[in-house]
Amino acid sequence: MVVMLAVFSATLQSVKAAGEEETLLMATTTSTDNTGLLEYLMPAFTEKTGIGIRWISTGTGKALKLGENCDVDVLLVHAPQAEIDFVDKGFGIDRREIMYNDFVLIGPAEDPAMIKGKSVSEALQAIGSSSNIFVSRGDESGTHKMERALWKGADIPTPEQETWYRQSGQGMLPTITMASELLGYTLTDRGTYIKYESVAAGKPSLVILVEGDAVLLNQYSVMPVNPEHCPSVKYKKAQAFSDWMAGEEAQQLIGIFKLLDKQLFTPNAAR
Amino acid sequence: MELYHIQNVDHYYGTKQVLSIDDVSIPEAAIIGLIGPNGSGKSTLLKLMGFLEEPTYGSIFFKGRKTGPFSSDTRFKVTLLPQEPYLMQRTVFENVAYGLKIRSDLKRLKSRVEDAMLQVGLAPESFARRRWSALSGGEAQRVALAARLLLKPEVLLLDEPTANVDTDSARLIRKASLKARDEWGTTLVVATHDWQWLFETCDSVLHLLHGRLFKGGLGCAVYGPWKFGWEGFLQKELEDGQVLVAPSPEEGKQVAILDPSRLKIVLLSKSPLLKWKIGSLNGFVTRLFLESNGQTVQTAIKIAELVVTIRIQREQVELLKLYPGKEVGIQYEPKEIEWL
Amino acid sequence: MDFIQEGFAQAYALLVRLDPATYSAIGTTLRASSLAMAASLLLGIPLGYVLGYFDFLLKKQVRIIVDTLLSLPTVFIGLVIYALLTRHGPLGEAGLLFTIPGIAIGQAILSLPIVIALTATAVEASDRNLHITLMSLGANRKQIAVSTLWEVRLGILAAAVTATGRVLTEVGISLMVGGNIKWHTRTITTAIALETSKGEFGMGIALGLVLLLIALTVNISLAGLRRRI
Repeated sequence: MVVMLAVFSATLQSVKAAGEEETLLMATTTSTDNTGLLEYLMPAFTEKTGIGIRWISTGTGKALKLGENCDVDVLLVHAPQAEIDFVDKGFGIDRREIMYNDFVLIGPAEDPAMIKGKSVSEALQAIGSSSNIFVSRGDESGTHKMERALWKGADIPTPEQETWYRQSGQGMLPTITMASELLGYTLTDRGTYIKYESVAAGKPSLVILVEGDAVLLNQYSVMPVNPEHCPSVKYKKAQAFSDWMAGEEAQQLIGIFKLLDKQLFTPNAAR
Repeated sequence: MELYHIQNVDHYYGTKQVLSIDDVSIPEAAIIGLIGPNGSGKSTLLKLMGFLEEPTYGSIFFKGRKTGPFSSDTRFKVTLLPQEPYLMQRTVFENVAYGLKIRSDLKRLKSRVEDAMLQVGLAPESFARRRWSALSGGEAQRVALAARLLLKPEVLLLDEPTANVDTDSARLIRKASLKARDEWGTTLVVATHDWQWLFETCDSVLHLLHGRLFKGGLGCAVYGPWKFGWEGFLQKELEDGQVLVAPSPEEGKQVAILDPSRLKIVLLSKSPLLKWKIGSLNGFVTRLFLESNGQTVQTAIKIAELVVTIRIQREQVELLKLYPGKEVGIQYEPKEIEWL
Repeated sequence: MDFIQEGFAQAYALLVRLDPATYSAIGTTLRASSLAMAASLLLGIPLGYVLGYFDFLLKKQVRIIVDTLLSLPTVFIGLVIYALLTRHGPLGEAGLLFTIPGIAIGQAILSLPIVIALTATAVEASDRNLHITLMSLGANRKQIAVSTLWEVRLGILAAAVTATGRVLTEVGISLMVGGNIKWHTRTITTAIALETSKGEFGMGIALGLVLLLIALTVNISLAGLRRRI
């Protein structure tokens, strides 16, 4: 009882203090955050610029919505078409490519649909015709949009109603987990796959089967929220963030970030 | 001055009418008994007199002013002891002290509470710290009474105060209530079946039947023992040797009611041997009380151990030259006596 | 199944080694919950008294509405509060989104129907004679209210215990309104959600055990209170 009262009064004090904090608020995706990149990178930003930064990781759709609602100052997502729309609608401004990784098709080691080594389109056709299970994000995330584009590229209509097509509606790691339970195939970004590998203590039940295709590029960009749409956003600080992310220090740090001794991201900000 | 004037009160619970009272006055410092079978409206009447509820229709005047619940006139002066003893979930001391605490009357609180407990026969050393759940029914009722006596109320309304308690508690409750009347002039209104209350103490008795005051109220209840008398009638010998005669009652009815409106006051000087005649009794005037209408006088006459209160016109009082202490005769028709 | 065993081991490690992220989450959980409980008790007990004590038109209907609100899903509340607190929303200027007070507001709304309904039930169940006794001893309306609430204090305590349990363990509101920001608005429950979504089931179990420990501590102190009053 006494403890609760003490906590309560401490909260009131912290509430007052919180009001005076002037940090940047960023919306990003769960796959970005789950790699651990931000934990690693952001302290360097604060040290260099003196600007504090906090971030919310959710699905791409929600991150964009938070930007549209002026609840965050800057976005770091990987859904190029949606980002371009975002800027066109006036919600975002100064979209800047920062880094990329790639997507890979993963599946059970036995590979019942025999997609190993094929091109993406051929692989998807093989999965569809053999009715092997494919798990989709199903959540309008960057990964999900990429996946839909790939079905389209393979001349296959998105298999909404097919029984072998399972939509998890969740983040990348739960989707991979579901695929491994169902012994099915799925599309994932390499970063999350490496994370999955490390969590599975080096004995993953799903392995990379298709990679390297040009269409599998996963581009990450930084976008400050447009101050004309949201007068209350911290535009100057968001710009500073964007500049820093494209700057030499950040790009170097991104390049040397490793998970399980494997490089996750390739920096590609324009000079 | 009259304490209560109840005027044209009709009280309903939902659509059911539970009380219908035309006009009755209660004087100060009296002890009024309230009798009637279960469901006759006694508890309801006491609740209205305690200003716990407002009558659906009609008015209740307290000391001449129309009053209702939460009124500052009566909140600290009128208290009701309900039928089932109810104590709050605290110690006995806290329960008794509650009334004073809410009045912010805290001077010498401890000794006043202990005095009140002694008044009802509860030793403070053993009872003050007891929790509410560790008391017998009689003890709980006495605690409730102590809480009210402590407030020195002007009116103490008691709803069946001794119905569910042991005999010791009953005796102590009665004693404490009477002491209140004697010491502070508290008016007592007691709803009870207990003949010891009515028999020994009541100045007058209100008789309720189906929510109505029976035959104008203020009747006199007469209890046994009755002996078989002459020609199928029963007779009761009063303390001074006089005999009251009444017809045999139905099965199960035990209390006879003398309806005062049927009694006639006569002067003894005119017929000195009257007291030996059937239908006649001798007694003397104890109290004369002028009602608010200015016309009728409540005349209390003590006959041996009985007290009858008859309402007569003031002219009659002058005619008969009545005064407290005067010896008079009462005539009644034995066949008219009713049984409860 | 091994992740459950793993969880026990990890829980012990986190607590004993004073893992800062865990303790930060514990602090956030406690801060948000205490604010929420304080607000909902302050508002809910008087409202529950009114609902239980008085007879008024539409009383039955109000009671039904309150009882229905007991089934509000936390994500739904989270969504509604988000809509209120977002920049373009009615309370946007208050800057409460992604803060602990923001979470507390949502949790208070979760807790309020519980407090109101259970207080009203306790007051309704109290003896009719209590009211008569209080009035006959000369209490005015305010004194009757205070004394009645004191008499049913055990019922009110039960309401507080139930509401606290619900508030400590909810995820939907903390996630939507708090944003699960590490060090700032990450509660134990949102941390569990996060770890589970990352596949770190052992950690999820560990944090779950930590939460149970917190709940146990809270309930032990409430039980101590119950004995004393």
